[in-house]
Amino acid sequence: MFSHYIDLSWRSFKRTPLVSLLMVIAIGVGIGITMTSLSVYHMMSMDPIPEKSDKLFAVQLQSMDEGESWWSPDSMPYQLTYRDTENLLNADLPFKRAALMKTGFSVHLNSDKVKPFLEQTRVASRDAFDMFNLSFINGGVWSKEQESSAAPVAVISQSISKKLFGTSNSVGETFYLDDLSVRVVGVIEDWKLHIKYFDLNNGSFNKPEHIFIPFSLIKANEIDTWGNTNGWKHEPVKVFNDKLQSEKFWLQFWVELNNASEKRVFEAYLENYIAEEKKAGRFTREKAEYKLRDVNQWISYWEVVNEDNKIMVALSFMFLAVCLANILGLLLAKFLRRAPEVGVRRALGASKKQVFFQHIVEVGMLGLFGGVIGIIVAQVGLFGIRQSLSYYDALANMDISMLMTAPLIAISACIIAGLYPAWLVCNTTPATYLKTQ
Amino acid sequence: MLEIKPIFNALLRSKVGAVLLLIQIAITTAIVSNAAFIIKDRLDYLNQPTGYEEENIFKFNVMTFGTDVDLIQQVDLDEQMLRAMPGVVDAVQISAVPLSGGGSSTGFRLKPVPEKSKSVNASYFETDEHGLNTLGVNLIAGRNFTEDEVVLNRDYSKFPKVALATKALMDELYPGEDGLGKVIYMGDQPLTIVGIIGMMKGPWLKLENRKDKSVLLPTVSPGKLHQFLVRTEPERRAEVMKQIESAMHSNYAKRVIQDLTGLDVKKADYVAEDRLMMRMLVILISVLVLVTALGIFGLTLFNINKRTKQIGTRRALGARKSAIISYFVVENSLICIAGLVLGVCGAVLLGQQLMAHYSVPALSNWYVAITAVAVFVMSLLAVIGPARRAANIDPSIATRTI
Repeated sequence: MFSHYIDLSWRSFKRTPLVSLLMVIAIGVGIGITMTSLSVYHMMSMDPIPEKSDKLFAVQLQSMDEGESWWSPDSMPYQLTYRDTENLLNADLPFKRAALMKTGFSVHLNSDKVKPFLEQTRVASRDAFDMFNLSFINGGVWSKEQESSAAPVAVISQSISKKLFGTSNSVGETFYLDDLSVRVVGVIEDWKLHIKYFDLNNGSFNKPEHIFIPFSLIKANEIDTWGNTNGWKHEPVKVFNDKLQSEKFWLQFWVELNNASEKRVFEAYLENYIAEEKKAGRFTREKAEYKLRDVNQWISYWEVVNEDNKIMVALSFMFLAVCLANILGLLLAKFLRRAPEVGVRRALGASKKQVFFQHIVEVGMLGLFGGVIGIIVAQVGLFGIRQSLSYYDALANMDISMLMTAPLIAISACIIAGLYPAWLVCNTTPATYLKTQ
Repeated sequence: MLEIKPIFNALLRSKVGAVLLLIQIAITTAIVSNAAFIIKDRLDYLNQPTGYEEENIFKFNVMTFGTDVDLIQQVDLDEQMLRAMPGVVDAVQISAVPLSGGGSSTGFRLKPVPEKSKSVNASYFETDEHGLNTLGVNLIAGRNFTEDEVVLNRDYSKFPKVALATKALMDELYPGEDGLGKVIYMGDQPLTIVGIIGMMKGPWLKLENRKDKSVLLPTVSPGKLHQFLVRTEPERRAEVMKQIESAMHSNYAKRVIQDLTGLDVKKADYVAEDRLMMRMLVILISVLVLVTALGIFGLTLFNINKRTKQIGTRRALGARKSAIISYFVVENSLICIAGLVLGVCGAVLLGQQLMAHYSVPALSNWYVAITAVAVFVMSLLAVIGPARRAANIDPSIATRTI
């Protein structure tokens, strides 16, 4: 029966090609525009590390004096001071911790083989690789001894390895970061991320780094940040050590806590730490304030999904509603014109249910065609977005779930729009129409 | 005369179609007026004057990895070389690039730290005496700083004594007074303002209260990574840009030249999201209006088909063609006006919602009014074609099939 209904729908489609095409285009454009904005929204708000996003926590400490405010929603500074970062990193705790900073160097081999190039570099403590699920192709992370002795070693990505050495197994090779000679200890797969959640300071959608060096090199080699440094009081910084001692915020810190009890332990540690620092004249606020936010909380705290996008999603759904009202009107016209034919079918024994179902199949098919057109329209739209914004490359895309969603929305929207006309037409009294034949 | 009563009665007999059209018109009005308003808002933002000849200026970064040069000397040599290039008006090493979204800012004060004082946040550019000319901004009072006043710095131990500031900054620090010759403080360091700059946008166009406030500091303190700004004669920028990398490398090789970009491109990158939003909205409202117009067109056609006999009968009974046309026009106008009333309320409501939840300014009523008129005209245009077709129905049709 179903295939017969599909056949009937196809015939009906061919009988009024203009109106049918108009409907398919209306639903297609509606779905296309909605899917374009929805896809970008979906990619922006997608969990970047779903398997452990509720276990990784960004740490914030309120080290500013009473009365000082910050431009974050809750007036907590986004980053940490060097002093706090170092203390939290070296604390005797059983949790994995990552201290991070963005910097950059001219990368070269001190020869003419590869033209020197500028490359962003991530300074990280050794747990970071495990915490953020970075997988090694060759070698591994630097050792604890290398980290504590500030050894000039690096983990690089596969693509940088190929660029510098022509192979993805470059463990043991050396290259230069400015004038510092570093040895490769590990090669990781390229870090593919659409949201740079671990450091949202300088563009949430910037690409992750390809070179990683130990955190201890900051102090040993006076490596300054390429990201933001924010101060809240006047502190003259003449030499690098002044910055290390200062109350300026310029480092990111993450901790992995696997369950609520671990979280409590870490919170207790933080409270204790703040109390200790208070004795040393820091953390002058009456109440100890700190925040642990997991990955998704962190992303919404930073308002990563920009509001333009939310407005676009809202407007495009309203647009879809207009398209549906449009289709409903056209369906009504189309189905009612067919009332005499339905009258004959009813007289020949088709039940109301069958007539209703037949028409629902027909609108479902319109929805399917509309969905396909919608995907094409959305692809064009997303292509346009990628063309005008280079860093939207990874964002303006439809993943599988969105590709499936498009026809799903189209078909269900069409069926909703078709319910009333189908119901109207299946209530046709056969006698009225048989009379006039 | 317009036969509103019978038309209205006829409408009541086929409510659904009319209500659907009404909803379409209402939503269309609500979306279009708000979207048009946001578009205008973005256009003003994108087209605001900046004070620069953006198409004649470009920037580039230099990352030096060689350790056998003194950076201050090297910057001096590079500047001389750049300024001597044919087509170049002026060139300078500068700590930040305007309109690019990257730079430094701090609070400028009336009294030194730690005294309590009024403080106004402004962006600052560290550069030498060629900075003003390279930027090409307009000095409205006072003078540029001189070569002697420029402080060469390797470790921030020395601080300049004078500076240039924009009028917007000085007006806020010294309201109602002439800012020229006044002293402002950066931290605990005094700066005498020797010149006032008129229009000059800072690095962040998005920051409404900071974009017009800037200070030029006579300091040269290049780090390993520093940047140059070059202004060329009109039409010669591309030609000069092509030679930069090799020219810089022939001066000194152990460095990377990067991000060689025109100021207009830098600005376009910075405002890319706003431009994208604007384009998407333009597409959205044009397609929306088209879809609504098609809806009206389709519904009128359907009504005419349904009423072919009645129209034929009316014509046979002596109705003029114009009466038939006016019937459909009036019918459509009735629906449209009802939809517009609903749509205007919807537009205002939507505008309030957008303003409450997002940083969208208050919707101007003009946009709602103009949109309502435009939607009305559009609906008339959409109905006129089918209505004329109805008028051409032959009276004999009415008699033929009875």
